[in-house]
Amino acid sequence: MKEDAQVQKQFQPANAFLMACLFVASAIGVMAQSAPPVPAPPPPQLGALAPSNIAKTREKPAFDLTGTWLHAFSRDNPFTFAPPPGFKLTPEAQVHYDAAKKARAEGKAYHDDIGQCWPAGLPLIMTRVWPIAMIQKPTVIFMVSGFMNSTRIIYLDGRKHTDPDLVIPSFNGESVGHWEGDSLVVDTIGFVDDHHWLDSGIPLSDKTHMVERMRMLGDGAMLEIEYTISDPKSWVGEWKWTKRWKRVDDTDITEASCLPDLNAHMPSVTSKSVNVR
Amino acid sequence: MKQIFVACTCAMALLTAGSAYAHHSMEGFDRDKNVTLVGTVKQFKWANPHSWIEMEVPNDKGGVDTWNIEMTAPFVLVRAGWKSSSLKPGDKVTVVGHPQKTGEPGALFVSVTTASGETLTDRPPAPAPAAK
Repeated sequence: MKEDAQVQKQFQPANAFLMACLFVASAIGVMAQSAPPVPAPPPPQLGALAPSNIAKTREKPAFDLTGTWLHAFSRDNPFTFAPPPGFKLTPEAQVHYDAAKKARAEGKAYHDDIGQCWPAGLPLIMTRVWPIAMIQKPTVIFMVSGFMNSTRIIYLDGRKHTDPDLVIPSFNGESVGHWEGDSLVVDTIGFVDDHHWLDSGIPLSDKTHMVERMRMLGDGAMLEIEYTISDPKSWVGEWKWTKRWKRVDDTDITEASCLPDLNAHMPSVTSKSVNVR
Repeated sequence: MKQIFVACTCAMALLTAGSAYAHHSMEGFDRDKNVTLVGTVKQFKWANPHSWIEMEVPNDKGGVDTWNIEMTAPFVLVRAGWKSSSLKPGDKVTVVGHPQKTGEPGALFVSVTTASGETLTDRPPAPAPAAK
């Protein structure tokens, strides 16, 4: 008996350890049962350049944008996206707009982020001084700007916009397009929420929604895009513009990087007395 | 000889107003005025997105000021007859530009005239009149 008691005594710590393990294991099991299920990842999207995607049967596109294009600057086709007459801003945007107006009156630039090497983003990247190389495939259009090597991608393979919880915000957003008669209609969302401007003092946000209706003019020599842009964080309603680009067959794009040592020699962007932030 | 002078050139301002030759704000330059700088090229940068000229200009106090002259993109300059070798350090030049409103030594490029008398702008030369 004494020996048994001794043996029992010796086993007591081991029993306690075993019981603790069982308790932890059962607790984990209960937690696993009560935790919400892990959502399944989205089904994989066939890449726009996958040969099997390109090879799918699709309606014939109305035109081919492949080529080099330059914004056809003129007084009635400015590179700016100025607000329309009678526009109404949100209180948050009005603060920026008023500050930009004051800076302009003093001969200063307000939040000139492009000059400080932030990407121009859409829509401004489309109307820069540098040409844009456009490459069209049945499933996608790549637009590479000669300014900052900015790449814009328009998917034509029928995909929907990425889940807002999964989309990675960017300055050019996420564009999906479809053909309507003689036009390509492109819908873009998924923008960043800072350092992105429509015009001086008019910020663009992660709520920006842009629709472009693209069509060819002059037997393919001119590209016209009608823009409809809304941003409930910055203004009320939809604003519209129509811009034109000319095909430039005598040039190509080249690399253009905004670099601190180059900017150091640019009075317009280095002068602290001129740049208001 | 006064080597820096500012002249109101409203006609020129009208011609260049609204120019899209830059990617960022040009609010800091007074496009209603021109400044003429006679000096020596310290550096001419042939680069995207913008070219520029750094030059040394004698001032009224017997010293030398370093001016930065902001230019447009090389692909635009090529169409106006420029090459990367158009200007070299040590070249004596006369540069016309729109000065900074703050009075700082910087300007937006309008034209340059070299010691040989050649003048370059950022605009293509006017086409020759058609033969009659």
